[in-house]
Amino acid sequence: MGKKPSLGRQKIVIARIPKKNHLQVTFSKRRSGRFKKASELCTLSGVDVGIIVFSLASKVFSFGHPEVELIIDRFLARHNLPPLDTSAHHQLFEAHRSVNLRELNMILTQVLDELEVERKHGERLDVMRKASQRQCWWEAPVDELGLCELEQLRTSMEEMKMNVEKLTSKLMATLLLQMVCHFQGLILD
Amino acid sequence: MTRKKVTLTYIANDGARKAAFKKRKKGLMKKVSELSTLCGIEACAIIYSRYQAEPEVWPSTLGTRRAIARFKNMSEMDQAKRMVNQQGFIRQRIVKAEEQLKKQLRENREMEICQVMYRALVGQPLQGLTILDLNDLGWMLEKTGKEIEERIKKLKNTALGSEQAVSAEPTADKGSEGDNSEAAPKNNSALDDVVAAEAMQNRPWYMEFLKPCKEGNTANLGQNEPLPSYPCGNLTPPWSNFYFP
Repeated sequence: MGKKPSLGRQKIVIARIPKKNHLQVTFSKRRSGRFKKASELCTLSGVDVGIIVFSLASKVFSFGHPEVELIIDRFLARHNLPPLDTSAHHQLFEAHRSVNLRELNMILTQVLDELEVERKHGERLDVMRKASQRQCWWEAPVDELGLCELEQLRTSMEEMKMNVEKLTSKLMATLLLQMVCHFQGLILD
Repeated sequence: MTRKKVTLTYIANDGARKAAFKKRKKGLMKKVSELSTLCGIEACAIIYSRYQAEPEVWPSTLGTRRAIARFKNMSEMDQAKRMVNQQGFIRQRIVKAEEQLKKQLRENREMEICQVMYRALVGQPLQGLTILDLNDLGWMLEKTGKEIEERIKKLKNTALGSEQAVSAEPTADKGSEGDNSEAAPKNNSALDDVVAAEAMQNRPWYMEFLKPCKEGNTANLGQNEPLPSYPCGNLTPPWSNFYFP
């Protein structure tokens, strides 16, 4: 369950990456990062943005707010006024879209916050686990244990497993009984 | 640049918004340029703002036109396949974040159950555990048991160093059927991990009824009988303090 440590932020030379795999991964990550930054720019500043990116395999990725095609048309037509459709219908549409985006961003923020909480929790657990491992030999990863220790551990665990199963069955039985009584009670009422 | 957490809402303050816009616009242009250079690909960026009539573009007006032309030359399907707007993009981010959350929750849960297991191994009673906990505990015991089993086999393999010795071993190993190669246990355990991970997710059907940790769910049964601790075989000290009486 150990996490592979990533290399973190490293300084890189801004020149064509020679290795092919590395390039593909870099492309993927950075392209995704650009879209994310563009999305944030739109949300925070309320501006219209368009990005088009071609991959080496000549596939095209595009991001646009409000839409890629609208941005392109606007650019090509060289009319630099924002689309001035002030019809009530359009305004309603725009308002609706704004609200929708706000809600989506709120949901995203919520999930990201939860993720952060769980990550921190995970770190704490990891620290505890490592500290505990230093003191208790049986907590070390299986690969680090010797034969004698392993056999000892196996015996203890098998016994514990039996007890856990016994306990689980008992608990299940009690709960099922409770459920039955509960339902009977409901029916009688 | 300090890594501050960004709040995903429109900046109401005009001054702050303008500053953020300038900074982020500059950053975006620079990064798109980097992407293009590092990966040797073509790209363009168009940013409209309410402060200027003309949009800002990268690489240049001509470069942008060229990119757009190339874009339009592609089939409708190719264009649309990886096209996304704000809504779509934020939805994608939500999905990805939820997956990461699920994974992290599962990892955390595994670590917690592992801890429970190790504590119980040294005599901490199993009271206070819910059925869900017990179920996961059983799964963890099973998984660790398998790992131990394989490791023991492997060690005995190397120690005795002959196929005959291994096939004479009466271990109840359900995994590899007499396959003595080194590769097999590894493959099995990899598959086992995947299966086991799913098993932990796919709890028995009745578990769904018993979800919340109510008082009645805890193992009050233990009060009537003392729970045994786990003697570690007949080995003499140094392990005498292995379990607490």
